[in-house]
Amino acid sequence: MQRIQHDGTDHPHELDESSPFAPQTPQEVDAMLSAISADSVEELFDVPEAVAFHGDFDIEAKSEYEVVTEIEELLGQNADRTEFLGRGHYDHYVPSVVDYLSLRSEFLTSYTQYQPETSQGFLQALFEFQSMIVELTGLDVANCSMYDAATALGEAALLAARVRETSGSRVLVPETIRSERHSVLENYADGAELTVETYPLAEGNTDVGALSELIDEDVVMVYAESPTARGAIEERLSAVATLADDHEAAFCLGSDPVALALLKEPAAVGADIVIGDASVLGLSASHGMGLGLFAVKDGYLRQVPGRLVGTSETAEGRRAYTLTLQTREQHIRKERATSNICTNQAWVALRTAIHIATLGASGLAALAEDCVATASEAAARLDAVEGVTAPVDDRHHFREFVARTERPASEVASELADRGFLVHEVGEFEVQICVTETNSDDVDGLVAAVQEVLE
Amino acid sequence: MNYQQATWTRETDTGEPVNEPLLSEKRTQTVTYDDVDLPDELVRDELTLPEPAEPEVARHYTRLSQMNYSVEHGPYPLGSCTMKYNPKFIEDVAALEDGAIHPDRPDEYAQGTLGILHGLQEYLAEIGGMETATLQPPAGAAGEFTGLLVARAYHQSNDEDDQRREVIVPASAHGTNFASAAMAGYDVVELPSDEDGRVPVDALEEAVGDSTAALMLTNPNTLGLFERDIADIADIVHDAGGLLYYDGANLNALLGRARPGDMGFDIMHYNVHKTFASPHGGGGPGAGPIGVVDELTEFLPDPHVRETEDGSFELYEPAESIGKVHGFYGNWLVLLKTYAYISRLGDGGLKDTSAMAVLNANYLASQIDLDITYGPFHHEFVASAGDVDAAEFAKGMLDEGVHPPTTKWPEIVDEALMTEPTEALSKEQLDVLAAAFTATNRKTSDELADAPTTTAAARIDQTSAARNPRLSWQDVGENDE
Amino acid sequence: MTHETPDDLLYTDSHEWIDDREDTLRIGITDFAQDELGDVVFVELPSEGDSLESGAACAVVESIKAVSDIYTPVSGTVTATNEAILDQPELLNTDPYGDGWLFEIDGQVPDDALDADDYCEQIE
Repeated sequence: MQRIQHDGTDHPHELDESSPFAPQTPQEVDAMLSAISADSVEELFDVPEAVAFHGDFDIEAKSEYEVVTEIEELLGQNADRTEFLGRGHYDHYVPSVVDYLSLRSEFLTSYTQYQPETSQGFLQALFEFQSMIVELTGLDVANCSMYDAATALGEAALLAARVRETSGSRVLVPETIRSERHSVLENYADGAELTVETYPLAEGNTDVGALSELIDEDVVMVYAESPTARGAIEERLSAVATLADDHEAAFCLGSDPVALALLKEPAAVGADIVIGDASVLGLSASHGMGLGLFAVKDGYLRQVPGRLVGTSETAEGRRAYTLTLQTREQHIRKERATSNICTNQAWVALRTAIHIATLGASGLAALAEDCVATASEAAARLDAVEGVTAPVDDRHHFREFVARTERPASEVASELADRGFLVHEVGEFEVQICVTETNSDDVDGLVAAVQEVLE
Repeated sequence: MNYQQATWTRETDTGEPVNEPLLSEKRTQTVTYDDVDLPDELVRDELTLPEPAEPEVARHYTRLSQMNYSVEHGPYPLGSCTMKYNPKFIEDVAALEDGAIHPDRPDEYAQGTLGILHGLQEYLAEIGGMETATLQPPAGAAGEFTGLLVARAYHQSNDEDDQRREVIVPASAHGTNFASAAMAGYDVVELPSDEDGRVPVDALEEAVGDSTAALMLTNPNTLGLFERDIADIADIVHDAGGLLYYDGANLNALLGRARPGDMGFDIMHYNVHKTFASPHGGGGPGAGPIGVVDELTEFLPDPHVRETEDGSFELYEPAESIGKVHGFYGNWLVLLKTYAYISRLGDGGLKDTSAMAVLNANYLASQIDLDITYGPFHHEFVASAGDVDAAEFAKGMLDEGVHPPTTKWPEIVDEALMTEPTEALSKEQLDVLAAAFTATNRKTSDELADAPTTTAAARIDQTSAARNPRLSWQDVGENDE
Repeated sequence: MTHETPDDLLYTDSHEWIDDREDTLRIGITDFAQDELGDVVFVELPSEGDSLESGAACAVVESIKAVSDIYTPVSGTVTATNEAILDQPELLNTDPYGDGWLFEIDGQVPDDALDADDYCEQIE
């Protein structure tokens, strides 16, 4: 093994043979080999020749400048379009302070807090995140993250099956659920021999009558969303909760921290579990990367998946934070753990907490109120366009709504894209439009483009 | 090493000293909703949250950060966690505005993102000796779960799912292997290690059969040992009709020296936050792509990325796809950082990574005066704290200005200290770490019992935390004894 | 370290004790077992009326870092459980043969139950 000197001026940075992030000098390598009585690094590999690899990956090393430039160029191929896209992934403005604080290496480059004495900072930040979610949901316990809303929903179904006194096999979800979320849920449910079925909505909200026909003692969980994937605020949550309760099924509500800052708290409408994507605060659009929110009522505590931070005391009697109730987790309970989750989204939870702290109660409430107002205004403006009905569902909306167009939605979406605007195509004659503070200035342009397209 | 972690302490109203107070103990605000255009019954009565001004937010989190040890402070040799240096430029790459797109963009407007995802699929396939890799699983455990769903779909396609209900896992495997198998609906068959710490081929032959769906293996295993019989192991599992799954947690040992695909593995996951340097972020996010051999590509999650004839990229659903394991496309920002890291290192850098990781572990082990029974090890080794409780030993190490190793695991070693220095420590830092072991080894049991004394918090009472769980600031003060 | 092993109780290989001095049998874990486990933080008990087969896992005792199944050494119907340990799991540590008992069961003492001397020999 020949190592190239990293810091010597006579040796320009040779990219081909060494990692710039491995700091050993050739002299150190020699000294270390000598200390272990080895002639070469290669002899340390105890790999039988039959399975050894002597080839190349054909990956060419690059300088930092070359890599950054290449990726800038590649990402530049993402067409410049104004997104009016939502349906579970939202772009809210993330204040700079979130980046600067969360990118501090003390947070970013630390591991899970298995040694709490030296990890008090991150533990406290996660404890505060859990507390914020408890306040927003009104439930008793929040964990410090799942991967995203879809996987949190899968975990909710598994929890619901475990806490039932009697076995059951059905999970009911709204027909408007994103197909991707439905698919993830099915994959989680399958191993526990649960089946996922949909119930219908009427006028954008749960068809309670139809749901009551579908529900029986075999149902372990009923899931509802507010706002729904179509942006409607769900007005029948209490009725859904009652139906679930009557059949000893858990009631799981899907939402997000901005909506929860305004809408009736889930505990008050009878939710047993709340899931959702908390990265609507903390991350801007990031191609679907999320932060699974997971909160439950007290009785489910021992069945919660994932990490929990609690308070305790130091030997001196001072308040301190620690991961707790770890016997639920895979590293102790193995195949009987509440979940296989280990690595989670802790750093995103930190960002979300910083974002919430920066907004404060007033800022968060104002943001949530804006989500109602901007959706309503945008819908009214589009409704005024000839050939458009908006919103399709006669409900209150949050951030987004569905509009019916006289021309096929595929044509409308495609021609709007040509004019610089991306919207969802959600039905043959339906498009969905999401408005937040990051695109509200472009609503004028969108309305003008819709007018052109439908002329 | 002279070390003292920063500690920000003040007295509360009751005179009790606390480290940095909770946000809820600072300025809070209760808001009510009078002007919102919604029926009252849909709106919450009030919302109470902290309301610090931005300068206070900055101070709060800066102080918290100073009460947190990290890779950039010093050695962080947690075994099987691969706490290597996280290059700064990958954060700049992740912050590029053009990458901040919505996942529902039609393919034609997301060519840059799809191109990078496709490039990473190819990189990972090449590094693992696999046909291709899906990037959707958001963590290693999610990769295991996905891989087992793929295995299950494969057995279903052969009409063998009903009979193949068992996944074999060595006793020394990561806890996630057991839990992932259970989540995928499998029964777990645990295989004890043999005397030299490896998979016993005889016992494996006994364990496999018509009911075997897969064997999950980490190689090198959690003792850092290469499973030298891997070719035989692969034959045994394949002859029985099962699949071989590779847990990629220890891939940092083997880059460019051996590839799971060449060893006979059918499915593998990559822990990109370990091997490929995306930061651990205090517990995540990571990403756990899985690679598969040609025969299994049709079962991969929906969607996969492919290059079309005109050189553009498109998403497609593999013919017999298992469906989805993440609501969108996984942890995009982590995947982007991974792509940047691999591009930077290239062939030589990747190979050098493993070389230096293995050299570092061997050198460090030679400088430590503790028993290390099992070898030859690669990127990590498991020392024994001997008569001392390994957890106590770890508390003692905290006062030496380093992070301790993983403790009490794997269980095959008494009072295990599972140590992985990674390639990112210089010889000087390895000597610091070795000195920390030595200094700790000299501490009396009373000294260990009082440790740590240099961290923001002294020894924390885990028992009362678990007996009387207080999991939010709403609970603080309520249940105090 | 020596462990308390009262002479008037019977024992099992898996470190449960059986008190057969009343009509129903009372079951708990031994002093040795609680010491091995460390500080107990949580206990799960069977329900009254549960019908158990000898050798079945019927209760769970958790410390900070370990989870242990408790196997009933006796087949029969659970007639009582010790609710006090749900709130005060530390009783298993402080008084394993007294207030830290687990449950009572209506059944027969198994043939292979050990007396105190035999059990002491086993744990030495």
